[in-house]
Amino acid sequence: MTDAPHGSGSGGGRGRGDDQRDLELIAQWKAGDQRAASALVERHTAALARFAVASGERNEVDELVQDTFVRAFNSLDGFRGDSSFRTWLFTIERRLLLDRRRAEKRRRDRLEIQEDDAATEYDSLDSVVADETERRMREAVKQLSPTQREVFTLRVAEGLSYKEIASAVGTTEGAARVHYHNAMRAVKEFLDE
Amino acid sequence: MNDCQNAEMRDQLPDLLHERLDALARVALMAHVDGCMDCRDELALLRVAHGTLIKATPRVDMNFIVEALPTAAPRARTLSISRRPIWADWRAAAAGVLLVAGASSYTLLGRHGGASVQAASETVSAAPARSASAVPAPAPQPETVVAESSPEAGESTGLGTSRLGDLDEKQLKALLTEIDQLQPTPITEPDPVTIRVDSKGTTTPEGL
Repeated sequence: MTDAPHGSGSGGGRGRGDDQRDLELIAQWKAGDQRAASALVERHTAALARFAVASGERNEVDELVQDTFVRAFNSLDGFRGDSSFRTWLFTIERRLLLDRRRAEKRRRDRLEIQEDDAATEYDSLDSVVADETERRMREAVKQLSPTQREVFTLRVAEGLSYKEIASAVGTTEGAARVHYHNAMRAVKEFLDE
Repeated sequence: MNDCQNAEMRDQLPDLLHERLDALARVALMAHVDGCMDCRDELALLRVAHGTLIKATPRVDMNFIVEALPTAAPRARTLSISRRPIWADWRAAAAGVLLVAGASSYTLLGRHGGASVQAASETVSAAPARSASAVPAPAPQPETVVAESSPEAGESTGLGTSRLGDLDEKQLKALLTEIDQLQPTPITEPDPVTIRVDSKGTTTPEGL
């Protein structure tokens, strides 16, 4: 198994067939097939990494995604299939992220240092991606509020419905729609400047 | 860049990007997009945003993740161990009953057939000492057997060394009586009753 490529599991075209395949793999894993776990990881790692970045995690994406999967597999009996498996993973990842932030905040307040680090990472990405439009887009997304960035990423990068976003982010469907449209307006205004 | 005034159509643009619309909705939205510059611009923006977010995602080592995952306990195997089939328990119980029945038969035959007269004597003489609730009180006949099956009598009649075929009629009767009295559970099945109903509807029980 190799690193998750950027484009894999992009969420494009995901539908009921994908959800059904997830349920089949879960059943296979429960029956003792460890390869099913690898398949599930392969299907969802990239999306979880994107959501981690969108949620502000930049330094320990690997650990966060790993913790998400470990927690998910340890509590698979609690997954009833009300939402899709991917949405359920987003919910777990977001909860872990909030726990990490709280713990980190208790230790010390390093918000300014983190912002500097983040800027450095984005600068390094700039050198890789030459396209000016994409660079501007990254800047536009970066200036969104944390909630707007999460909702925007789940809607645009993963193609989740407002209902699924509401489930993952812990809000209402209507609030998710408002966050998305506010984010879109903010991105447009940024790009129009 | 302006927002399209048709909020419903604009709302579905990400679903069009991810091909999550059914055929009818897709055709309707495509027709709208063809004639709406604002929606075309927004759809182009969504494509750029989608590509940018994917490219900005760091690579994650999936082996690192898989190695940390718990191993699934094969549930079916666990269940087969913890839940023993009921028929197996019945089989064990039936085997136990057969063993007890076989041992009892062997004991009885040993006492009255191949065993010594002394053993038979002890069995019969000990019978009255048993609990009255468990075993019916023995009739006086076994006492006769005891008297007759003394070592001397045994030697004279051949009970000590002979088998059932060697016993005379009197000894066999005494043995049968003893066996009857050793039956641990009394027969409690009721006699069959037939109720006859005549043309007047009167019922008359029979067989009582």
